[in-house]
Amino acid sequence: MSQWLNHVLERASTVDDWLSPVRAQALDTLKQQQWPTRRTEAWRYTSLHSVADLELKTATGSATAEAPMIEGLNSLDLVFVDGQLSTDISKLKLPTGVTISELTAPSEPAEAIFAQVKPNRHLFGLVNDVLAQQGVVIDIAAGAKVEQPIRVVNFASAGIESHQRTLVRLGENAQATIIEHGSGSGNSLNTAFAEYDIAEKASLEHYRFALHEGDAIHIGGSHFKLHDHAKMNSTLIGYGSQLTRLDVDIEHAGEHAFAKFNNVYLLAPRQHFDLHSTIEHASPNGTTEENARGIIGDRAKAVFNGRIHIHRHAQKTLAELNNRNLLLTRGAQINTKPELEIYADDVQCAHGATVAEIDEEALYYMLTRGIDRQQALVMLNFGFVQEMVFQMPNKALADWLQPILKTRFESMMEQQ
Amino acid sequence: MLSIKDLHARVEETTILKGLNLEIKPGEVHAIMGPNGAGKSTLGYVLSGRDGYEVESGSVEMDGKDLLDMEVEERAQAGLFLAFQYPVEIPGVSNMEFMKESVNALREARGENTLSSAEFLKKAKEACKQVELPLDFLKRGVNEGFSGGEKKRNEIMQLIMLEPKIAILDESDSGLDVDALQVVAKGVNSQRDGERSFIVVTHYQRLLDYIQPDYVHILSKGKIVKSGGPELAKEVEASGYAWLAEAEAEGADA
Repeated sequence: MSQWLNHVLERASTVDDWLSPVRAQALDTLKQQQWPTRRTEAWRYTSLHSVADLELKTATGSATAEAPMIEGLNSLDLVFVDGQLSTDISKLKLPTGVTISELTAPSEPAEAIFAQVKPNRHLFGLVNDVLAQQGVVIDIAAGAKVEQPIRVVNFASAGIESHQRTLVRLGENAQATIIEHGSGSGNSLNTAFAEYDIAEKASLEHYRFALHEGDAIHIGGSHFKLHDHAKMNSTLIGYGSQLTRLDVDIEHAGEHAFAKFNNVYLLAPRQHFDLHSTIEHASPNGTTEENARGIIGDRAKAVFNGRIHIHRHAQKTLAELNNRNLLLTRGAQINTKPELEIYADDVQCAHGATVAEIDEEALYYMLTRGIDRQQALVMLNFGFVQEMVFQMPNKALADWLQPILKTRFESMMEQQ
Repeated sequence: MLSIKDLHARVEETTILKGLNLEIKPGEVHAIMGPNGAGKSTLGYVLSGRDGYEVESGSVEMDGKDLLDMEVEERAQAGLFLAFQYPVEIPGVSNMEFMKESVNALREARGENTLSSAEFLKKAKEACKQVELPLDFLKRGVNEGFSGGEKKRNEIMQLIMLEPKIAILDESDSGLDVDALQVVAKGVNSQRDGERSFIVVTHYQRLLDYIQPDYVHILSKGKIVKSGGPELAKEVEASGYAWLAEAEAEGADA
């Protein structure tokens, strides 16, 4: 057992709000959980040693921070500092069709979504269920086409433990863009879990930026439920830190749903990043395209576990999962495991994982244009992840992210 | 400018070039024609220094320097340009950064100032216009999702941007309709300035209606078997390449 988890259980009993009945169930489940060890499949390559006996303060709510501006994005920002909402929601000018409330206030969408989309097998998800008192509930009305991106920012300050929750509901035919933007570099623990319910024919553009670095510990998840003909296009970017672990679940609950999920991790030396994704094809005619690409620096360690589960009735499923990794040194490590579990017989699926090698033809082409070999290699290596950035539908976000990732990559190359 | 002497080269175990000789002076346009398998594309690859294309014997000098002793990028920096028959797609690298890096690498090699982003963009826009490529193509991945014609025009756009001393056009006409062919030819012709030399490699005479060569060479089985003026291309157009086999048969009899 872990000292830290014991404290969580103690603290959980003091949480008393309108969600208490749901939290009580989560607490029961949590109490039955074993503290993960290396023998626990979901944590096989990620040690929780740094969390087991962690003792940090909890936030008081006095801190404020400005969200990093993204030029040309014009987003509606909801800023959390150490799990405490610092934005005055009542002063926001909301786009038509958008309702935003705090998790502390009872609301119908929160009741419908909280702990309903996220599977209860995630230990830290359960911790978040019992402890996260602050969060936002974003409700997009049926038919609303919301142009302005909505960004949920999570800062984690040194020395603080925090838990934050985001709940999003898209009504039928609604369209919206949601960005989960997390950062922090000091010794901190932040859990941030988000649940999305995407109704019939609704379309979600989603981003999760887990830009935690250094001593930050960030454990979180984004969980999606797609109804008939619902669409999602998601891009996840991770830096890796002392410990970053993300769980993504996409459930094709309705027929003809479409999910595109790109993710990129760019690990500086000695950082750790772990992404587990599970796609549940529970209904027929669904499509999933998942692409994970990583560049891993010296003595850094990445874990990718991508599971696609096609249920017996999910005929005519199209599912593709691909993971490619570039190891910058012999000391860099990737543990990758794409898994396909298929119980339907009329499906098209492909999966693969590779440790990338340089495309010799592309290299030759660049050399014939006079570009130095070393520079050509840098461009090709970075191009490998930049391709995912180019695919981001929001150009302002892509234009903001591209130079940041490039600078990060160049400094990783210099540290070799 | 370029002097190729008795060049023998092979790919793996197969010798493809078997004693090729070619002298090119500044400003000249040499067309190289020949049937499939004659070694036309191999010549471009060998001159550019592609891995796997091994020179067995012979020499190539460019401006008096040993070209075969240079790395691929050094050849480009010395002024050699190869327009690919099948340009390569590089999805994660944008045309913009690719071209900027390339233009500046060559400018640096020539001892010129590198271009600022604004200067580069101005030049790139003009070049795009010249080959009728839309501007947004600069932001896209290199050749990513381009049609065959767009890829060929992109090669010519690069030729315009890079200002080489000698350009080898490897079947820049293949797969193009007449309109696209004219755009490519116009782009190439705009770069003929009396100094820049060209090797135009083609299977068909058609391209040479639009890019007038000074000399035409027929390449067969790794050697130049006949050289002449533009009229030679017309002969090929009229009679095809069948006469090559006959000529060889006669040669064997003699």
